[in-house]
Amino acid sequence: MDGAAGNVILRLEKVSKSFGGLMAVNYASFSVKKGELRALIGPNGAGKTTLLNLISGVHTATSGRILFLGEDITRLSPDRISHKGISRTFQVTSLFPGLTVQENIWAAVQSRKRFLNPFVRAERWRDVGEKTESMLELTGLSDKAGVVCSELSYGDQRILEVGVALSTGPELLLLDEPTAGLSTQESMALVKRMRSMIGGQTILLVEHDMGVVMELSDRITVLHYGEILAEGTPAEIMGNEEVRKVYLGC
Amino acid sequence: MFLDKGKGAAFAFLYGAVLAALAALPFFADLFYQTFVTEVLVWVLFAVSFDLIFGYTGLLSFGQALFFGVGAYAVAISVLKLGLGTGAGLLLSVAAPVVFAAFVGYFSVKLSGIHFVIITIIFALIASTVAETWTGITGGTDGLVFMAPPLNLGFLKVDLMDIRSTYYLVLGVVSLSCLLLRRMVRSPLGKAFVAIRENEDRARLIGYDVPRLKLVSFVVAGGLAGLAGGLYALSLKYASATFLHWSISGHAVVYTIVGGAGTLLGPMLGAGLIMSLEHHLVNLLQATDLVVGSVLVFMLLMAPRGLVGLLQGRRK
Repeated sequence: MDGAAGNVILRLEKVSKSFGGLMAVNYASFSVKKGELRALIGPNGAGKTTLLNLISGVHTATSGRILFLGEDITRLSPDRISHKGISRTFQVTSLFPGLTVQENIWAAVQSRKRFLNPFVRAERWRDVGEKTESMLELTGLSDKAGVVCSELSYGDQRILEVGVALSTGPELLLLDEPTAGLSTQESMALVKRMRSMIGGQTILLVEHDMGVVMELSDRITVLHYGEILAEGTPAEIMGNEEVRKVYLGC
Repeated sequence: MFLDKGKGAAFAFLYGAVLAALAALPFFADLFYQTFVTEVLVWVLFAVSFDLIFGYTGLLSFGQALFFGVGAYAVAISVLKLGLGTGAGLLLSVAAPVVFAAFVGYFSVKLSGIHFVIITIIFALIASTVAETWTGITGGTDGLVFMAPPLNLGFLKVDLMDIRSTYYLVLGVVSLSCLLLRRMVRSPLGKAFVAIRENEDRARLIGYDVPRLKLVSFVVAGGLAGLAGGLYALSLKYASATFLHWSISGHAVVYTIVGGAGTLLGPMLGAGLIMSLEHHLVNLLQATDLVVGSVLVFMLLMAPRGLVGLLQGRRK
């Protein structure tokens, strides 16, 4: 391990992914440090979501390596990667629609247990219940705990999406366009709520809304046609000529 | 929801009351009716086993007939060909289907949606074809007729040639199995099954080993279906290759959908009501299937969440 990698939590080494002839991610290398909020931006089709899919195990990289806490996770299944400490949200809400808000969070909290005892009532697991309660409070959805997920407002579903991902207690959280489909007002409310939910959490954020990106991120990585175009602080990225040309369009 | 205090006591009271009524039945009903209720209880167990895999885990399996048939043959072959006791036969009626379910499940749970449905039908078809053809062991569609030796439970001997004793044995086994299943679906494992039913991909990404959990559900459901088959064979003193036909699974599908999937109570009600309907209609008209079919269509259109869904809807 080199010194600079001391607090690197996630490291991608020359990661590529092709679907047939299409290179969705091309030779991408970057690392995320512990505690940092890294935004991943780029035009549609730049490979942002594919990258999140590779890191979370939904897809497997064609070549290259993904290291998490120094361990190679490139070929692990999504559930194994989850247990290593990576959690994610989806651009298109992915929750348990027929379950209540409380049951959604419960399922995520309970997933940390090794043995799912079939002979005790679930409510007997007090520690899971308490963690679920505190996660409900954190998401601000306590008063809607008994509401069936599919009956929640879209805005609340987006919050729950983040809440479920956080409830596995991840070391690294991947957020795929948390504000997708929200009005500006709703976006601001979500960002505000997220700020209190994610304090200190290491995050890799894919987001289209530059306002949200500038508001939240410490560093930004710009993807373009599957390749990394630039990386830097928000100010540096805003000042980068090439980035302005291909992405910001100004 | 189900977490309410007092619900547990209410459940215990109701379950106790139903059991007491069923236990008292032989004192009022004739042997013919006792035989009928024995059969209903067997199909109740079969229906709840299907509810575990379909209603709770979200997998529409037509493999349940296979395990039911294997369970029936486990009893028949144990008693008739291996010279084992009824107790050993009943244990094997769980153990043998569990082995079969582990094998079938290993391949099936890798598939989802319609592909899963089809592969379970294919496995059931293969098994029933083998059972029909391999007459030396199974007796084919003519089946095997056997005499069941008394079941020695230590403190009492159950005479299985006696209709009333058989009724009590079936009632005991089915009611205990249902309680066990109820505990399981409310356990952390049951919650994981439900998460898979609701959103398999999400369940995987929050860390559930989905294929393995599906296999667990499949095997438990298979073992219980086998036990139902074993009890069925024991009550009829007969097992036949027709028990393995995939359409047998269709009974469970109908009971579960009419009663309400994912509730356990629903499939029980469904089995009881539909079988009673058939039982009483058969004297009036030949085409009972037509009536059952109409009930199914009506329920699908008017109450897709089944009878239990209707009851719950009222309360809201």
